[in-house]
Order: sequence, then C-alpha cells, then structure tokens
Amino acid sequence: MGVDALAETLRGSAMKTLTVDESQGYHVPGASRRAVLSRGVDLSAWVSPAAARRMSPPSRLAVAAAQMAIMQAGLVGLAGGPSTAIVMSSSFGPVTSTEQLLDSARRDGPMSVSPFAFAESVANAAAGQVAIATRAQGPNLTIVQREAGAITAVGRAVALIASGRADRVLAGSVDEMPPLLHALLGRFDALARPDADGVEVARPFDAGRDGFVAAEGAVVLVLEKLEAARARGVRWLARVNRFGSAFDATAPRIGWGTGHGPLGRALARTIEAAGRQPSEVTRIVSGASGAVDGDRIEAEVLTEAWAGAPLPPILAPKAHVGQYGGGFLAAAMLSVAGGVFGPTLGFAREDPELGIRPFSGGSLAPSPLSLITTMGSGGSASWLLMESWESGAA
Amino acid sequence: MFRETEPRMPGARRRVVVTGLGAVTAAGWGVAALRRAVESGQTAIGPFTRFPHDRQRTHVAGEVPAAPAGHPWLVRTQRYSHADRFALFAALEAVTEAGWPDSLAGISAGVFFGSSTSGLFESEQFYEQLAEGAPDRADRSLLASHQLSAPAETVARRLGISGPVETISSACASAGLAIEQAMQSVRSGEIDVALAGGADGLALTTYAGFNALRAMDERPCRPFRADRAGMSLGEGGAVLVLESLDHAIARGAIPLAELLGAGSSCDATHMTAPHEAGTWAAAAMRAAIADARITAGEVGYINAHATGTPLNDAAEFAAFRTVFGDRASTIPVEATKSVLGHLLGAAGAVEAVSTVLCLMHEAVHPTAGDGEMDPSARVALVTGAPRATPGLRYGISSSLGFGGANAAVLFGRWVAP
Amino acid sequence: MSDDARLREDLKRLIVDRLRLEGLTPEKIGDDTPLFADGLGLDSVDALELVVGLEQEYGIVVKSHEIDKTIFTSVRTLARFVESARAGGAGDVPRDGA
Repeated sequence: MGVDALAETLRGSAMKTLTVDESQGYHVPGASRRAVLSRGVDLSAWVSPAAARRMSPPSRLAVAAAQMAIMQAGLVGLAGGPSTAIVMSSSFGPVTSTEQLLDSARRDGPMSVSPFAFAESVANAAAGQVAIATRAQGPNLTIVQREAGAITAVGRAVALIASGRADRVLAGSVDEMPPLLHALLGRFDALARPDADGVEVARPFDAGRDGFVAAEGAVVLVLEKLEAARARGVRWLARVNRFGSAFDATAPRIGWGTGHGPLGRALARTIEAAGRQPSEVTRIVSGASGAVDGDRIEAEVLTEAWAGAPLPPILAPKAHVGQYGGGFLAAAMLSVAGGVFGPTLGFAREDPELGIRPFSGGSLAPSPLSLITTMGSGGSASWLLMESWESGAA
Repeated sequence: MFRETEPRMPGARRRVVVTGLGAVTAAGWGVAALRRAVESGQTAIGPFTRFPHDRQRTHVAGEVPAAPAGHPWLVRTQRYSHADRFALFAALEAVTEAGWPDSLAGISAGVFFGSSTSGLFESEQFYEQLAEGAPDRADRSLLASHQLSAPAETVARRLGISGPVETISSACASAGLAIEQAMQSVRSGEIDVALAGGADGLALTTYAGFNALRAMDERPCRPFRADRAGMSLGEGGAVLVLESLDHAIARGAIPLAELLGAGSSCDATHMTAPHEAGTWAAAAMRAAIADARITAGEVGYINAHATGTPLNDAAEFAAFRTVFGDRASTIPVEATKSVLGHLLGAAGAVEAVSTVLCLMHEAVHPTAGDGEMDPSARVALVTGAPRATPGLRYGISSSLGFGGANAAVLFGRWVAP
Repeated sequence: MSDDARLREDLKRLIVDRLRLEGLTPEKIGDDTPLFADGLGLDSVDALELVVGLEQEYGIVVKSHEIDKTIFTSVRTLARFVESARAGGAGDVPRDGA
C-alpha cells in the first residue's frame, strides 16, 4: 500500500503474488492460481469502517487511494468543490457485487437481491464514492476501455483542465480480482501458465511469454495546472505533454489485432503534434504484460512509430505489478520521474520477431521526455507523452 | 536545463453539428419508429418476454421488439449481445443518414458511447451454465460482449474506425457524458467526426436490483404526476453523428442541428438518491448553457431526466427552478422515459435524439401518462399530440445518475446561414 | 426467553449482519433504540436492505407502501410488524403504538 511500497516493488526481484481462493470451484484443474491481491491490506487509516460499510472492494480501494493522493499533494481539506473533477477507469467494474446479485438471484430468486450489492454494482460506484469522500462536485466520469482505460482517464482528465471544466482532477484506475474473474481470465487463456514447478511468471517481450499475471488495486493521481502546484510549493512528479488514442479495427472482440501500421502512425502523429520527434523520447514505459499478442502489438507499434530507428530504453512494469488495478499507471509515473528499478522480471530470451530487450535494471534519471503506451485487447490503444521534474526546475 | 515547453493540448473550439441519427427502442428499430412513438403520447412500456419475471416485483418494461428479419445491418450478429446489436443498428442508421453507408475508414473519426449493462443478459446465461453444470462446459462465447466497452468496440470494428473509441459508464448519466466527451474531441480538432451515443440491454439482475431499491412502478412510469410511483426500465441504443461544421460543409452535408454546449457535475452526497435541492443537476445545466454561450432565458425546451420516481422528479424540478426561475413551470418539458422507459447507459443518447427531432420539427413531443400533476413539481408537459413551437431555437437534455453524476447537453436548431 | 424476546434478538442479529454494522453487537441495540437518525443512523437504503433480509428470513412479502419510518422506529416496532406479517395480516403496524 502506498507509493513507497510500489517503488520498493519496482526495485525488487519478485512479483508479490498470492494464491487465489479456488474453493468456489470456478477454476479448472491445472489453471493459473496466482494473482497480485490486496488481501489483508488494512485500509482503515484512509476509509473509516462507517464509510466502508456499504462500499464494494473497488470503492474502498479507490477512496483509500484518493485520500493518499490528496495528502501527498498537500490538499487535505482543500480538494473538494465544484472545480474538482474525478475521472476513474476500470476494466471490469465491481465484480464481487455483480456476482453477489447473480448468485442470490439464482439461488433464492430475484426478490432476494441485495440493494447494497446493486447500488455498488455500477461501474461508477468507485467514482461516486470518491466524490462523496472528497466532496468533489465537478465532472465525474468513469471510463471503461479494457487495459487502455487508465491512460485514457489521464488524457481526458488533462482535457478537462485544459478546457476550463475543472481546476484539478483526481484521475485513476481501479480493479478487483475476485476468484470468479481470475478463473474466467484463465479460461480465456490470458494468464501466465504454471510451469513444471507450478510457478507462474509474466514475461513481457520474452520469446517464451504465455500470458499475464492478474492484479487488483487502485491508483489515483492528482492532476492540476503547473501554476497551482507551484503556488502551493508542491513538487510535481511528472507533467503531461500530450495524449493520443486510436483504435485497431482488425482486433477481434477478445484479443489483439494486426493493425500495428495505423496505430504506429497514429502514435507518430501524436509525437509530431507535440512538436517533437521520436528521437527525442528518452524513455518508453510499455504496457507489455506477458500477453502473447498484446506484447507483440506493443512492440510492433513502437517499431512502426520509430520507423525502424533504435528505440530508447523500454520499461515494462507489468512484470512487477501485473495487469489491472492501476499498478501500471502508478509505475509509469514513477518511471518517468526516475529512480532505481529492477530488471524486467521474467525476461530472459529476446523474441526475434519483436526485437525488444526491456530494461535490465539500474538507476534512471528523471526522463526529459517519456512515452507511456497501452494497447488494450479489443482494439483500443492510448498513449501519453510526459515530461519529468528536473532538479533546478522552478 | 528544463525546457519550458507549453503543452499543446488543443485549445481550439470548432463548431459541432449533428449530421445523422440512429435509434433502436421499445418503439422499434429505427428513428422513424422512435418518432412515431414519441409523437403519439402513448407509452411503449408494457409486458415483456426477454426473461421470466413471475418472481419479480413488477412486470413491465420498455423492451425492444424482435429485429427485422434478415436486415442487412444485422448479418452475422447472432452471437452478439442485444446491446451490441442495438448499438450497431443505430450507428449504421446514423452514418447512413450522414452519408457514409459502409465505412469510416480514412476519416478522422472516433466513438464515444455510454453503457451501463452492455452484455449482462448474455453473461447471466453464462453464469447459469457455470453454476449448474461442469465449470468447463459453460459457453465462454457468451462473455464475449460482457465488457461495457463492447457496444462501442462493435461499432468501431464494423465501420473501420481508427480514432479514439471510449465508453463512459456512469449509470444513467453515461450517454450524456459521452456526448460531452465526443463534443470536446471534435471541438478540439482531435477528430472530425464522432459517433456519440450508447446502448444497453435488459438484464434480469438489473431489473431485480431496481426492484430491490423499490424504485420501479408496477405501472408504466408517470413522470411529474402527483401519484407517480417509480421508474420503468427500458433498453435500446441511439447514436448521433457529430461532425465539425467545416467538415460537414466541405462534403456538402446539411446539419440536422448544432451541438452547442455541454456540462457535468457530481452531487457528491449519496450513491442512489439525488441531491434534494437539485443543486448540482442545476450546475450541470448552467454549465451547458454557459458553454453554449447563450442565456437560460433563451432555452425553449427541456428534455428532462424524469424517471418518474418521487425523489428524482422533485429534485429535478428544484434544479429547473434554480436555473430557469419561474420559467421552470412554463418552458415545455418532455419526459421521454414515459414512452420508452429508462435506457440507463443509453438514456442520454435517445433523449438527445428526441431533443434534436423537436428542434428539427419545431414541435415538442407529448409525454405519456395521466393523472394530476404534482403541484410541487409543476412542469409544462405536453400531452396527447406534439405541440407546434415555431421558432424553437434551443433545447437542453438533462441526465442525473446513480453515484450522483449529472450531465446536460444543449442543442440548437440548425438555421442555414 | 419468550417468543417475542427471541424474535427481537434475531432481528438485532439480522440488523448487525445484514447491514454490516461491524463493531456493533446485537446486545448493544436496545429494544427501543431509534434505528434511524440519532440512534443507529441508518438511511433509506439500509431500510431496503433490511426489508430484503426480513423477507428472506421470515418468508413474508413486504409491499412498498408498507415500508415507512413507523415500522423501522425501533426493533420493537419491527418485531410487531414481522409478527403481524407472519400471522397473515397485511403487516400493518398499529399507528397508536399499542
């Protein structure tokens, strides 16, 4: 829990996973059994039991993350009001609440469904609860865009500030990973498979990758104008230069497509529209997760956008934080800001078709110009061009 | 040395017009069917067959009738969810009217949809199989459209769209918010064309959930009536083609209406009940009016959220009073949900289509239902038949959602220069 | 324990469990503790959650028009309502508090 814990994870040599509870029988024999879970995390410092009483797991995680972000930004007691907006994203929404509705309707009939569960089963439950907890009365959006949603949330949050619709935005991502969802991801062959020793490893860009490791969690960023941060004397982590988003219409409903050409050119146009060249990008943070096709298209899009020129160092933090739950968004921000990062876990053998060797560990300076990319399954792709704080900057 | 590069987030403000409409509702497949229904003053809410409801507390809904058999827009969609099919049909109808019947490939275009249930009905069927039989025999293709982003992606895939494809899921305010996002995207120059709208399908657990909250009337909903007793669920899809005016003119397209402004806010007070005084719903409407650069006094029509629950309609009227003063009781109001039910994630889209139709024809649609008006929420409903309102210039559509999200979108009748 | 008293104890347990009032034990809820406002501070959605609990637990059907503040005044009024509903009555709570 918290940014420091994340930074420590990113320096480390192991992904912290737990065994998923299989007692409900949703998992088929031999299926993947590990995930990055928030089991046992004590949120009571951030969400009072009275407030948490009616919240679903995603709501609790999101409210805790929002309160942490507000504290770090020096906005305790100041974050609310009509000029504070909220833009959250979620890939799957409140699964536990939905499952509870399905289960009780099936067992005891429709009249047994719980009003609590229903109220918390909407995808925007987390955004609504964050608004109540922080008294944020500005625009309130929940974006659902598979794995690309978190980056899009940041992009649309910046647009709200740029257009004067908000002065500050709490933007982020939340997902929970209950056993039912984990089992279903396994059935769609999305998860890293257990090896002969039962170990499941996500291998971004590796020749032998066979899936990602699922995760749950919540991340909230405070986004505001540079002048406002300066006025409060608060240090900022990173600055958004430009957002771009595109769609690969060749993607099947569940999976990735073959449209790296148009996506790569769209990415190049975003960089160009920012008045920059790909050669000026000093760091890439890729959404590669170990997914066979997902990582392929992440690599192909970059290669296309760089027109074959050498790529800068590429980090793939999902090796450490897994897929979903906002870990990627948070890790991307830390990666832009610089620090010590461990080698990309699980990567051992370059895939000749991709030609990418992700970061092998070490100390990284704040990056003058970073690119964060996520290619979602189903076709959506989003990216951000970011700049970092450099020591000496006002 | 830090380079002070001013982030070039687009600050452009291009005019945005509507060049196509599409709709699938309880009235039928297509805008013509929608128009017949909303002009009739009669409700299309009634008995439904999508799933058994003998063990539910209520028994009516605004169910979409069976699709026209063999319709070319629906070929090879048997494995799609109902919501996907509604979205696809409405989108194809809209782009056909706009002048692109096959594809938007090569056009700078995106999709911004609202959805709250998406393929939940089909997922319910999967869950039945999962719970009843052996886990590995459940048909996982039923989950292919579970994602809330599925309707938008289905449309984007079919039309070869290459720009942003985003789904907003903020309960009843989803489509209104999606229309605002689409407007911003076109205004700023990110894209030239946006398909803005939404789709949702009836699902057993959703129906049960609203009944668990005792929010649904046994009778078709009767917004703003003194003895209104709740909402009715509906389903369907609606799409508006939003386009930059320059782009439309350059290709000889005639706008149907102009999208002038939008605003949004959040009550930040309760997850299911609206803010009693409608303060933040009013803020969203005021923001839309300001964004449109007109005054509240110029608004000549309101498409209200008007679910028919005692709390919503009262709070919404309070919001109207805040924004429009005494005119809150004289501006013509349409409560589309009285005819079609509550389309949840698609509500804001179908109600935007209805708003555009009123502006195009300079006539306000009647609201279905009878009974004494609520004296403490006395809005000027039209009943029986459309009322001609020559010179009608500006109409606003308001949406209030679970979780407190509010959205308002404001259209202007297209007047050729 | 009389049947009345047992019903009240069961209702207190239902309230604590169904409404997830962690940190509160049934013993701490008095028979006449106000359930709303200044007492336990429950709201309308809590009331609806409780209604579903009552229906499932006691096999009664609570009509929407019966859900009002009077039956939820306290555990005692709630118990009377449940008894009346179980006895096949319309579930009306005597308005004079008898």
